[in-house]
Amino acid sequence: MAARLLLRSAFRAAKTCRAAPVPALTRGMAAGGIPTDEEQATGMERIIMKAMQEGSDPYNMMKPKEYAGSKVDPHLVPSITNKRIVGCVCEEDNTAVVWFWLHQGEPQRCPSCGSHYQLVAHELPH
Amino acid sequence: MAHQAHAYHMVDPSPWPLTGAVAALLVTSGTAIWFHFNSTILMTLGTMLLLLTMYQWWRDIIREGTFQGHHTPPVQKGLRYGMILFITSEVFFFLGFFWAFYHSSLAPTPDLGGCWPPAGITTLDPFEVPLLNTAVLLASGVTVTWAHHSIMEGDRKPAIQSLALTILLGFYFTFLQGLEYFEAPFTIADGVYGSTFFVATGFHGLHVIIGSTFLAVCLLRQIQYHFTSEHHFGFEAAAWYWHFVDVVWLFLYISIYWWGS
Repeated sequence: MAARLLLRSAFRAAKTCRAAPVPALTRGMAAGGIPTDEEQATGMERIIMKAMQEGSDPYNMMKPKEYAGSKVDPHLVPSITNKRIVGCVCEEDNTAVVWFWLHQGEPQRCPSCGSHYQLVAHELPH
Repeated sequence: MAHQAHAYHMVDPSPWPLTGAVAALLVTSGTAIWFHFNSTILMTLGTMLLLLTMYQWWRDIIREGTFQGHHTPPVQKGLRYGMILFITSEVFFFLGFFWAFYHSSLAPTPDLGGCWPPAGITTLDPFEVPLLNTAVLLASGVTVTWAHHSIMEGDRKPAIQSLALTILLGFYFTFLQGLEYFEAPFTIADGVYGSTFFVATGFHGLHVIIGSTFLAVCLLRQIQYHFTSEHHFGFEAAAWYWHFVDVVWLFLYISIYWWGS
């Protein structure tokens, strides 16, 4: 739980102070001799670190954004292809999830509660 | 790296779980063969295989995390859960031996003389070497915390020095316990006192050796720049384990050495 809270606060902090990081020589190899993640993180860890600094969440690590689900404010569903499965929990505490494919193009409505969903193109970083 | 749409780590196929399982089979059955047929070949083979498995499996994890960057935040969270659950299972392991000790010592049977310590047992003075051992482990808890803060602040030299000092204190404890074992006026065969004393403190000593080894690996990795000031979970796991070992000793000291004397 502590890790989840840390992740969330790191995400929010990175979003609010999005100024370009000044390469101050107060940390890292130049200062104490222990590298920072900025200097040494690599691979997927680095991709995610960079994305979090920009405030984006390409791998859906965070809770999805909240939308009204109405015709003018549909749930925006990111997808790397032209369709994605949606699971609608129509009312809070419902145990039966309504599953359906959401296709590219016109917004679709949940067959049970009628909330609007719209597929949105999403690019993975590489 | 972008062939996945999630932040988790789908591990490549690996032979080490299989070699580890085979090693476990050979060690256990080999020990039984040794007990009954006076042959150590199977047990030795199993131990070799176990050591090779541990070395290569953990080496691969270091490659995946530090060199390839697979240990993203959710992956690290899973590793944290894993270490906590493992330490919890070890707590229950020791709980069993404490249960055995208290079962025998709270209601001593007539064959012991109806008293604890049992008649004829000369216990160790808790205020001699055992107290020194307590101070040594407590001090090592301070030095490992010092090492952690040094890493987080990005200070390489104090991090290496404090981690090395922690390991030296661990060796000193093991050395002192070894001396105590050699000089003790009672043995493991001396009734239930000997059994509870040596099994509980013996397993603790094994865990001190394991913890010292884990810290030594962290020292080597720290020297080789594996850890960053934000991401050093291997070290944190070693520090958690070391604190657990320290706490078990405190319970042993209070229960067996002090109350039980």
